[in-house]
Amino acid sequence: MLVWVVYDIEKNPVRNKVAKACLNAGIYRVQKSVFLGELNATQVDELALRIAKLIDETRDSVYLFPMCKDDFARVRLLGQAFDKELVTDEVRALFL
Amino acid sequence: MKSEPSFSETPNVSITITQVMAYLFCPRFTYFEECLGIPEHEETRFKVLMGREVHARKVKMNPDYLRKRINVVRKAVSVYLASPELQLRGIVDEVLWLADGTLAPLEYKFAEYRPFVFATHRTQLCLQALLIAEAFRASVMRGYLVYVRSKNFLREVAFRPADFAKARNSVQEVLRIIQTGYFPQQRGTPAQCADCCYRNLCV
Repeated sequence: MLVWVVYDIEKNPVRNKVAKACLNAGIYRVQKSVFLGELNATQVDELALRIAKLIDETRDSVYLFPMCKDDFARVRLLGQAFDKELVTDEVRALFL
Repeated sequence: MKSEPSFSETPNVSITITQVMAYLFCPRFTYFEECLGIPEHEETRFKVLMGREVHARKVKMNPDYLRKRINVVRKAVSVYLASPELQLRGIVDEVLWLADGTLAPLEYKFAEYRPFVFATHRTQLCLQALLIAEAFRASVMRGYLVYVRSKNFLREVAFRPADFAKARNSVQEVLRIIQTGYFPQQRGTPAQCADCCYRNLCV
C-alpha cells in the first residue's frame, strides 16, 4: 500500500532519527517533514513501532496515512513536485 | 529384508515448537531453513527484537503475580519442556495451575488483539499443552494468549480434539520435510509471500 508519513517533531535529533527510519524503510522524502512510498502492512506496522519508540508522545506528532492507488492517481501536484512513478516503485532503476 | 524405520519412528530426533510455527506459516520455510540451511535472520526484524524484549521483561516483572480472574493457583515461568515421544521441545512462557486441577499454557504475543485466533497461535498452544500434559501428567483443556499491544488483553483458547490431532500431524510433516528433503508446496497468501524472507528464492 502507499503510505504518507507526516510529522511535526520538536527536537532536531529526534526528527533526524525519524527521517532516517523512514528512509531505511524504503520510502521517499517528498517534503521536509513528509515521506511517501510503497510498503506492505508489516512494514507499515514496523515503521510505526520504530517511530513510536523514538518520539516524545506528549510533544511530537506523527501521522501515517495509507492511501489506495485510485486516490493516489487523483493527487494533483503543483510547483516543485515529486516524481509520482518513483514513489510508487514503478521506476525500478535510475539511469542518469 | 527389514525395511527402513519411518521418520516418525526415528529415535532421538526432535524439533522445536518454533520450527512447527514456521512450517505453518509456509512449508517452504521449513525446506529453505532446515534442508538448505539458509538462515531466516529473524534477529534483524525489529518486531522480533521488540517481542524478545517484552518476553525478557515479562519473565522478570512481578514473578509472584497470579491471574485470579482465571483462577490461577500457581505458575511457573519460562519452562523448558521436551518429549522424546512427541519428538518435540520448546519453552512455555508460563505454565498455569488452575483451581479446577487442570494446567494451561500461557503465551505472550507482541501483537494486537484480533477477533480471531491465528492457526499458528492455536497450534503453538496445543503443542505446549501436549508437552505440559506429558511432563506434569495432568489434563490440559485450554490455553491463554496475552496480546501485549492491546493492553495485555487476555484471550482463552479452548482446545478441541481435532486441534491436537492437527498439531501432532504438523510435527510429523516438519520431520518428513527435514528427513526426506522434499520440496513442499507453498501455502502463503500473497500478503505473507510479500513479507517472507525467502521470497527471492521461492519459485
